[in-house]
Amino acid sequence: MMWRRIYAWLDERYRIADLIAFMRHKYVPMHRASIWYYFGGVSLFLFIVQVISGALLLMYYRVGEDASFESVKFIMARVRFGWLIRSIHHWSANLMILAVFIHMFSVFFTRAYRKPRELTWVTGCILLVLTLTFGFSGYLLPWNQLAFFATKVGTELIGSVPYIGPTLLRIVRGSEDVTGATLARFFGLHVAILPGIMTLILALHLIFIQRQGISEPASWAHLPESQKRRMPFFPNFLLRDLILWLLVLNVLAILAVFFPAELGVKADPFAPAPPGIKPEWYFLFLYQTLKLLPARVIFMEGEFFGILVTTLGLIGWTLLPFWEPVIPRRYREPVMYALGGGLVLYIGVMTAWGYLS
Amino acid sequence: MRGYLGWFGVILLLAYWGNIPGSGVAAAQTSTEDQCVACHLDLEDPIVEMYARDVHAAHGISCADCHGGDPTAEDMDEAMSPARGFIEDLQGTRITQMCLQCHASVERLQAYGSTLNPEYVRPFPESVHGNADVATCITCHGVHDIRPHTDPASPVHRSRAVELCGRCHSDPNYMRRFNPALPTDQVEKYWTSRHGQQLRTGDTRVAVCWDCHDHHAIFPASDPRSTVHPVHVPFTCARCHSNPILMREYALPADQFDLYSVSAHGKALLEKHDTGAPACNDCHGNHGALPPGVLSISHVCGTCHSINAEYFNRSPHAEPFREKNLPQCEVCHGNHDVRPVTDEMLRPGQPSICEKCHHADDTGMRVAQRMYTALVELRTQMERARQMLTVAEQKGLEVSDALMQLKDVRSALIRARTVTHQMDPKALTDVVRPALEQARSLVRVGEQALAEYRFRRMGLAIATLLTTLLVILLYVKLRQMEATSRGTQQMGK
Repeated sequence: MMWRRIYAWLDERYRIADLIAFMRHKYVPMHRASIWYYFGGVSLFLFIVQVISGALLLMYYRVGEDASFESVKFIMARVRFGWLIRSIHHWSANLMILAVFIHMFSVFFTRAYRKPRELTWVTGCILLVLTLTFGFSGYLLPWNQLAFFATKVGTELIGSVPYIGPTLLRIVRGSEDVTGATLARFFGLHVAILPGIMTLILALHLIFIQRQGISEPASWAHLPESQKRRMPFFPNFLLRDLILWLLVLNVLAILAVFFPAELGVKADPFAPAPPGIKPEWYFLFLYQTLKLLPARVIFMEGEFFGILVTTLGLIGWTLLPFWEPVIPRRYREPVMYALGGGLVLYIGVMTAWGYLS
Repeated sequence: MRGYLGWFGVILLLAYWGNIPGSGVAAAQTSTEDQCVACHLDLEDPIVEMYARDVHAAHGISCADCHGGDPTAEDMDEAMSPARGFIEDLQGTRITQMCLQCHASVERLQAYGSTLNPEYVRPFPESVHGNADVATCITCHGVHDIRPHTDPASPVHRSRAVELCGRCHSDPNYMRRFNPALPTDQVEKYWTSRHGQQLRTGDTRVAVCWDCHDHHAIFPASDPRSTVHPVHVPFTCARCHSNPILMREYALPADQFDLYSVSAHGKALLEKHDTGAPACNDCHGNHGALPPGVLSISHVCGTCHSINAEYFNRSPHAEPFREKNLPQCEVCHGNHDVRPVTDEMLRPGQPSICEKCHHADDTGMRVAQRMYTALVELRTQMERARQMLTVAEQKGLEVSDALMQLKDVRSALIRARTVTHQMDPKALTDVVRPALEQARSLVRVGEQALAEYRFRRMGLAIATLLTTLLVILLYVKLRQMEATSRGTQQMGK
């Protein structure tokens, strides 16, 4: 009774009924590939988890060479449920990157990037880059030995860019080497700059989806309306989303309890690099590629060549909806399947190779 | 008389070289007199007489075999011309190279009927003496009058070894040129050693310089190739001291190496290659090697175990040990077979170390009992804390501070074990009590960490249960809604 009165009060002022009616009239196509629709929602949910857990961590985290490691240790050992918040933040970050990759490839293979959703794809690709940057910048924040050397090796790649490399490197690190200045920069990037940009791009991404609706499979183009099964976005799809989110939350809790985020030893710039140092799993394919490249390729340094090809590849991938129509129609599908399949296979093999080597 | 014999040798030399098969030049000139000898004889060069006694002459090696040139040419300029292979500057490294041409070659040694082992000399160029500025073969073996090492007249005869090495190594001005930090008192010390004392009596079976340092493969003690590198010293000493036949002659045991190799020191040095662990020379001395005297044992052990020695000298044991002439540390720990120490050494009620001197009910045994109890309690608590904290760490709990503090407890336990040498239960308690309190507090930290882990699992179980229930409820609600919706649609149709 009380809920109804509250609803009536809000509805009178904000016309909530109209919003619900709008959502009720939004439909989600139902077909054998519908499962992939959920990964966008999972990515969004994990981003929300990241924002909440990150905000909670901010209450105790202190940035600085003499404070970061100690404050994370304090969070893990002394703050009530601090271990849970940090572990959830850690695992949620990893799962979010995984979900974003799955979401991206599902969109690719269902051809949902095609007209009129070109900008949804472009904003999605930007969100992928932002997510990876979140991962890279956040990894340094505990200021432990592994993070220090992973950041040192990772940022060194920037230095291989001809002419402007050393200057760029100094801008990214804030000094010649990875120091407290780098930590402060990465912290600012992680908690202020990236969230701001991410929120903006994410809002655009969601607005595009709301305006254009969920894409239907290409095979539906020739189906009669009676054979097209759809479910209302509200409440049917949203409830399914909610169930999945609850399950993901539970998986996060299980991972946090049985595999809490490790802290390791404090970063020591004068200590030798730990043996077998590797980047996080989502950069392993890139790391392995760079490892396999010879010292010089054509007239460039091997590392720079690798970065150049990766950057150009990423730009090409982002602009996919604009150049795909150039491919003759009869070759389009085989080319796209070969491109997507090859990329998934390449990332999978290189990641496994990097992990095992 | 000696001069006549020498000239007789020269005549023989001339006759011999005229007919010897084997050496390249001489073999080609079998019917020709050696002009080197003839000419230098005319010049009354004493080298000719000296060389007649040389071991190389006896094997038919001519002047030209080392110096080159043409011994058949009667004209001096022609015989000693570089065109005929004469080596004008046979000095420095070229001497060593010349000697090694034969002495490092199995074939050449066999050709001359020599039984010398070429492996023996091969390391010389790389050795510390191998640089020609330091020494060449002739520095030790002499030149033109080289005798077999078994000949007492040879400078490399065992009886003259110390004198030979001391020529350079006892001269500070000379040694300063090569290594200013190297002591020059080795010979002086050697004569004070048991080896030196025996050598003075004419006993040449005792160790002389090269028995430890090798003859030709001499390297600095810090070089792992050296026979006197810390890790190799026990094996070097054992070459003689593990020889029961040789040791029997000196009424010495021959089991020191066997005992040492299973000792705490031996395992550390020989198995772990921890060069901080003592080798034979660290207790017995190097050049002045002697078994340490009874009263000096604590000083010898105390060079490394200084605090233990200090506590021992403060203990009630110090005085009676001196009076009874007991070898201090050795009484409890042994000498060559010093075993890793355990707290059990103090444990009464078993064949304990203390029972060697004490009775079961005397004050000494009561003190041992108290010290044993204190150490065991500290060790037990420390081990308990370690186990708990390790498990907690493996389960991902943050206990690094506690593990760091555990190192302090471990240090206190080591300190407490050292304090036992003072045989003062109060002094021991002063060390053990705070460490024990710290260990107990760490046990509590471990217990709390493991309780926290159980709490986490319980919390997860409840959360999982609630989530599962909520998921089921949502799913049921969804199905109901969809069923109702389908029913409405069908009714509409």
